[in-house]
Amino acid sequence: MSDPTATQDLIKGAGEPTASPVAVRGDRRSLWRDTWDILKRRKIFWISFVMLIVFLLMAAFPTLFTHKDPEYATLAKSMEGPSADAWFGYDLQGRDVFARSVYGARTSIIVGVLATLATVLLGGLTGVLAAYFGRWIDAVVSRVGEMFLGLPYVLGAIIILGTVTPAQSNPGKAMIMAVVIIVLALLGWPILMRIARSAVIQAKHQDYVQAARALGAGPLRLIFRHLLPNSLAPILVYTTITIGSYIGAEATLSLLGIGLRPPVISWGIAIADHASYMRTGAHALLFPAAFLSLCVLTFVMLGEAVRDALDPKLR
Amino acid sequence: MGRYAIRRLLQLVPVVLGTTFIINYMVWQLPGDPFAGRCGQRPCPDSYITAMREQFGLDQPILVQYWNFLKNLLTGNFGTDFNGVSVATQLGDAWPITIRLALMAVAFEAIIGIGAGVLSGLKRGGFVDNVVTVSTLVLLSLPIFVTGYLLQWILGVQLHIIEPTVSDAATVPELIVPALVLASLNMAFTARLTRTSIVENLRADYVRTAVAKGLSNRRVVAIHLLRNSLIPVLTFLGTEVGSLMSGAIITEGIFNIHGIGGLLWRAINGQDYTIVVPVATLLVLVYLVSNLLVDLLYGVLDPRIRYE
Repeated sequence: MSDPTATQDLIKGAGEPTASPVAVRGDRRSLWRDTWDILKRRKIFWISFVMLIVFLLMAAFPTLFTHKDPEYATLAKSMEGPSADAWFGYDLQGRDVFARSVYGARTSIIVGVLATLATVLLGGLTGVLAAYFGRWIDAVVSRVGEMFLGLPYVLGAIIILGTVTPAQSNPGKAMIMAVVIIVLALLGWPILMRIARSAVIQAKHQDYVQAARALGAGPLRLIFRHLLPNSLAPILVYTTITIGSYIGAEATLSLLGIGLRPPVISWGIAIADHASYMRTGAHALLFPAAFLSLCVLTFVMLGEAVRDALDPKLR
Repeated sequence: MGRYAIRRLLQLVPVVLGTTFIINYMVWQLPGDPFAGRCGQRPCPDSYITAMREQFGLDQPILVQYWNFLKNLLTGNFGTDFNGVSVATQLGDAWPITIRLALMAVAFEAIIGIGAGVLSGLKRGGFVDNVVTVSTLVLLSLPIFVTGYLLQWILGVQLHIIEPTVSDAATVPELIVPALVLASLNMAFTARLTRTSIVENLRADYVRTAVAKGLSNRRVVAIHLLRNSLIPVLTFLGTEVGSLMSGAIITEGIFNIHGIGGLLWRAINGQDYTIVVPVATLLVLVYLVSNLLVDLLYGVLDPRIRYE
C-alpha cells in the first residue's frame, strides 16, 4: 500500500487536465451544440439510445415484436415453461408471457413520461414563480413543498392510492392510469420545484436579466425568454432520470396492488400476479422483471450520459 | 449552534403539522369509502356505517378530527384498529424488528458502499472502478422488489441457502438477505457519492501536502483523505434512514417480516386505516427527525460550515 508508485498514481490522478474535450471552433457555440458534441462520442449514450428506440417502438407498435394476442388465454397451458412456441412460456392464465411483456412497455412508458411531464410542469412552474416573485409566494411554495417531501414516496402513494382507488373499486383503464400519474406527480413535484427555484434564483441577479429588465421586459418575457432557457439544463437532467424512476415506482405500486391493475397490462402487475408461484414457474415472474429492469436501465443510462454532457463541472 | 438547533426545531413544527394533516385528510376525507369492503361481498348497511363513522369521529368536521388526532398522538393513545386490537401493542411488537432491519441495512450501505467507493475512487479508470461503475448502474436500475424476488428465488428456492421467508422471531442471520435487498439501492448511491467525493478531494491541496510531507500512502488515505471525503456520505446515509423505513414496506412484504412495513402492507391490503394513519405518522416523524439530526451533525463533522 505504501510503495512510491502508488503515491505517484495518487498525485497523477489529481493532476489530470480538466480542459473541455470539445475543440473550439470558429462557429457559434451553444450549450446544446456542446452537449451534443460530447454526447455523440459517448458509448453509453448510443447504447441507451438504441435501447430507448427499441422500447419506444415496442410501445408504439407492439405487433412488430409479437403477433400473439396478449389477452388470449389457454388455461391448459397455464404456467408452461419457455418453448419454441412461446419464448418466455405461459403465465398463470395461460397467456403468452412474451406478448404480455411487449405490450407492457406501452403502459410503463406512458405512465413514466406523462407523470414526468406533469411533475416538470407543476414543479417547474411553482419553482420559477417562487423564485421570481420571492417573498410570501416563495415562503408558501417552499413550505408546502417541504410538507410533501416529508412524506416518503411509497408511503405517500400508498395513502393516496389506497383511498382514491381501493382494491375493490373498478375504475376504467384510463382512469386507473390517470390516478397513478397524478399521484406520482403530486409526490414528485417538490424536488423539481427546488431545482427550478435555485436555478432561477441564481440566474435572477445576472447582468443579462437586469439588462432585460432595464429594457422594459415584463415578468412573462423575463421568465420565458431569459430565466427558463437558462434553467433548462438541470431540469432536463433530472427529467431523464425521473422517467426511469417513475417506471420503477409504477411497478412498485402495481406490485402493492394499489397502482395499475387489470385490464391494464403492466410489468408490475405481471410480477405481482406471479410472485407467489415462484417455486413452480419463475419464468412468468423473471421475464417481466427483466423487461422492467432493462427499461429503467435505459433511462438511468441516458440520464447519466446527459448529465455528464451538460454538467460543466465534469468537463 | 444552539440557536440554530432551536430555529430548525421550530421550523419543523409547521412541516410536521402539515404532513400529518395531509395524511389525515387523504386517508379519511378523499372520495372513496373508508368502510368499503368491510362487510364481505355485499355493501355495508347504513346503520353499520353510521356507527363506525361515529366511533372513529368521522361525523365531526375535519379540523376537530385533526385536533383529536394530535391530542391522541401527544398522549401516546393510538386507539384500536377496526378489529378492536390496540394499535400501540401492534406497533410495539413490530417496531424492534424494523429497527433491526434498518440498522443492518445502514451497516451494509456503509461497509460495502463506502468500501467500493473508496477502492474505485483511488484508482479512477482501473478495473475495480469499472466493475463498481457497472454494478452500481445495474443496482440503480433494479427496482427493490426485483432484487428481492431475484435473491429470494436464487438463494431461497434454487440453492436452498436461506429460507425464502423470515420467521416470526426475525433473528439477525435471517435478516441478512432482506437487509441487503433493502440496502441495495442506497448502497449504489453511497458507492458513487464516495467515489465522487474521493476523486474531488484527491486534487485538494491538503492531500498534496500530506504526500509531500512523506506520509505513507495508507496514512494519507485513511487519516487525511477519508475523513474529509466521508462527510457528504455520512449525511446521505443519515437522511436515508428515514426513507429506508418506508422502503422496508416492500422488503418486509416480500420476505414476510412482521415489522412496521409488514404491518402497513397488511393494513393496506385489509384496508384498515386506523393502523395506516398512526404508522404513517410515525414513519414521517422518524424521517423528519433524522433529517434534522443530520443537518445538525453536518456542522459538528465539518467545522467549516457555520450556522447563521
